[in-house]
Amino acid sequence: MEEMNTENNWREEQNFTLVVRKPCFGLPTACPSCLPLYLYLKFAQLHFHLDFSSIYPDSDQIPYIESGDYVAYNNENGGVIESLKKDGIADLDAEFKSVPEWISTKAMVSTWLGDAIMYELWVGSDGSSAKMIYYPDLPWPIGKVLFWKQCQTVMLQLGITKDNAEQKQEEIYNRAKIAYEALSNRLGEQDFLFENRPSSVDAIFLAHVLLILQALPETSVLRNALLEHGNLVKYAEKHKMEQIEAGSSSSSVPQFQSGPSSSAPRKGPSNWSSKPKSKSKREKTKEEKTLRKRAKYFVAAQLVSVLLFLTFMNRSDDEVELDDDDGYGYDD
Amino acid sequence: MANSDEEKQSQTPPNSETTAEGDREENDVVEEDENEDEEEPEPPHKQHKSRESQLSEHRSRMENLFRRMQRERVNLRVHDLIIKGNTKTKDSIIEAELEALKNASTMQELLDAAGRANARLQQLEIFDSVKITLDKGPPELPDTANVIVEVVETSSPFTAECGAYSKPAARSWTAEGTLKYKNWFGYGDLWDGSVAYGPNQTSEVSAGVFLPRVKGLSTPVLARASLLSQDWQEFSSYKERSLGFSLNLLSTKYHDLAYNLGWRTLTDPSQMSSRAVRRQLGHSLLSSLKYTFKIDRRDSSMRPTKGHAFVSTTQIGGLAPDHRSLRFLRQEFDLRYAIPFGFYRAALNFGISGGVLFPWGQGFLNKPSPLPERFFLGGDFSPVCSLAGPTAMYGFKTRGLGPSEPRRQNRENSDGPGRDYLGGDLAVTAFADLSFDLPVKWLRELGVHGHVFAGAGNLSKLTENEFRNFSPQKFLESFRISVGGGVVVPTKIFRLEANYYYLLKQHEHDRGKTGFRFSFSPRF
Repeated sequence: MEEMNTENNWREEQNFTLVVRKPCFGLPTACPSCLPLYLYLKFAQLHFHLDFSSIYPDSDQIPYIESGDYVAYNNENGGVIESLKKDGIADLDAEFKSVPEWISTKAMVSTWLGDAIMYELWVGSDGSSAKMIYYPDLPWPIGKVLFWKQCQTVMLQLGITKDNAEQKQEEIYNRAKIAYEALSNRLGEQDFLFENRPSSVDAIFLAHVLLILQALPETSVLRNALLEHGNLVKYAEKHKMEQIEAGSSSSSVPQFQSGPSSSAPRKGPSNWSSKPKSKSKREKTKEEKTLRKRAKYFVAAQLVSVLLFLTFMNRSDDEVELDDDDGYGYDD
Repeated sequence: MANSDEEKQSQTPPNSETTAEGDREENDVVEEDENEDEEEPEPPHKQHKSRESQLSEHRSRMENLFRRMQRERVNLRVHDLIIKGNTKTKDSIIEAELEALKNASTMQELLDAAGRANARLQQLEIFDSVKITLDKGPPELPDTANVIVEVVETSSPFTAECGAYSKPAARSWTAEGTLKYKNWFGYGDLWDGSVAYGPNQTSEVSAGVFLPRVKGLSTPVLARASLLSQDWQEFSSYKERSLGFSLNLLSTKYHDLAYNLGWRTLTDPSQMSSRAVRRQLGHSLLSSLKYTFKIDRRDSSMRPTKGHAFVSTTQIGGLAPDHRSLRFLRQEFDLRYAIPFGFYRAALNFGISGGVLFPWGQGFLNKPSPLPERFFLGGDFSPVCSLAGPTAMYGFKTRGLGPSEPRRQNRENSDGPGRDYLGGDLAVTAFADLSFDLPVKWLRELGVHGHVFAGAGNLSKLTENEFRNFSPQKFLESFRISVGGGVVVPTKIFRLEANYYYLLKQHEHDRGKTGFRFSFSPRF
């Protein structure tokens, strides 16, 4: 208990800042990749400040969390939630990792429901919701081009072409309906999906439900399918009130479990390092860098000597002063 | 004089300037022409008159004429303008350059205007040669002349050029190759496509059109579309890509007004940037008007020994109906002065440059200034040549001084996290440079000379309420100072320097280094 309190105090001192896309539709952030992380941190009772990025809608780095020199980006380690678990900052899934049903539920929510909301925002609707979420602060021409680009990207990702558009749509909606049915049965009258305690699956699913209910128009197929499951709607409203509107967790949310790696109090930033995003080219060793630098100097020296040679050869023919005289300008 | 049969010609070979002054020159030209041109074959009985007496008659007539021109006004006006030789080029383009001729009322004015018109037509770059001839007017109209303009259009409309230029937009010099297509539509239009490459993986692909005359405007119009990309990863952990369009609205000897519209994107593929840079990543729309006032009365831009120069550049961003475009105000100035000493061609050059940047619009006091618009000091080029605002600073590496922030921590890098140089909203630099010829004659002939110099500079942040903590005294006390000396080799394309720098004052995180280095400065 003492250990946990020490860790809690230490985590509070770290001044985490969560950078997400702007709030919209009555939600603290209306972006489908940002809201799950927000809710996860709320469930984990990690104190953080919110900051917004509104000029980079096509970035896969957002959302990210930072504290001093430490940064965890969305496109590293499988997501910010995984980075936080790996770095021992917030881990709600310690006891579920080996439960097959939990893993398959997470996979279903991440893929089927993730694809469904992506489809509905960019392809299935008129795009007005997506424009309000992603492009409110970008000037019109840029917003227009980026929106079109993102629509093409989503269609490519989902494998949608002109020929199979209807078929794909049916497939996506069907899968979503199956998922809602299964999750509604799983949830029952409980507060959380598994063992009545929060995990990352709850964060992801809750974000999905809130977005479907609040960000999509009333004509949306997904929205109407979700509304058929009263317990899911109640689940969303309850947690919304507790995590978002109240600003503090209710007593029914249990204390989170600390990370599994060691019981000793963790040290500071030296354990939080993250590898930079590795690119396709391999890392250069110091010797290679010196060699490249030397090669560059050599080539530059050759070029300069050739230019000097050419200049001096022509020097006798040219005047030293190469500047133009005050010629016949337009206002002479 | 109008009743005489004398013919005056003002003939100029291609690519040379015409001067209307100097009796001797005129005499030579006219005499030569007199010899070359005979109007009609002489009737047989006149052949008896000796050649020498004919020549002396002509000569005396010309001498009388020139004496008259020197002493009194020789009234003459233009009756008719005849343009020959233009198959593609529209008459209106050529006539527009000959306006001054129509208004001339004396012989002297006419010759002067003819010379200037000739030079202007050459400057259009669409003719291989231009010949302006003054012929006598119709006999019934005394004191008139006809002007005959004969042009030879370029046989090959394509030309290719390459060189090294400074690019204010790219904040560096670039080596550029250009392909030009001349006079496509016959309006003197010049189309060009160019590719430029420079340090920091600067690359630009652009296309432009130059129109010497657009209806109603007396100055040429230059429009350009470009795609520019620059890699500042090493210094500030970001890459910049800009798709832009620029339109030159006014371009005269002293004034330049241009409008720029651009879509700029900042990214960080390395994902190692500091917090301040992370907040600036993304897309922005730049819509700005830039006005430059320039006077350069130095005798040379490569090795100034006397004269002065002053440049002031004002840029206002955010001129778009959309309030979400980048809104800022940027002002920079340069002042240069060169004093000759008279021995060893020694000259003292000194200069001061300064700049300030501030955002405007709602909540501007709390907003940060746009990162690519900020001032950055440092780099291997000389402040003597550059008139591009506060950029050069002796002895410091590119973007090597000023406010900086630690980057994201990288456990694998045992040296500790690097730093991102963020530039400043207020920049001031000053320098003094004493140049002198070297005692070796061979080097003097090549233009190689020596110099000793001293420089100072500083950067400060003003935005995000930092201006409340700003004090001029602290700013002055935190100036970086460097001194040094070396050898300068001016070439056609650039100014090469081999210098030894000694840093007298620098701050903890600055990247200045005492030692020997080369520097390259392109012609400005």
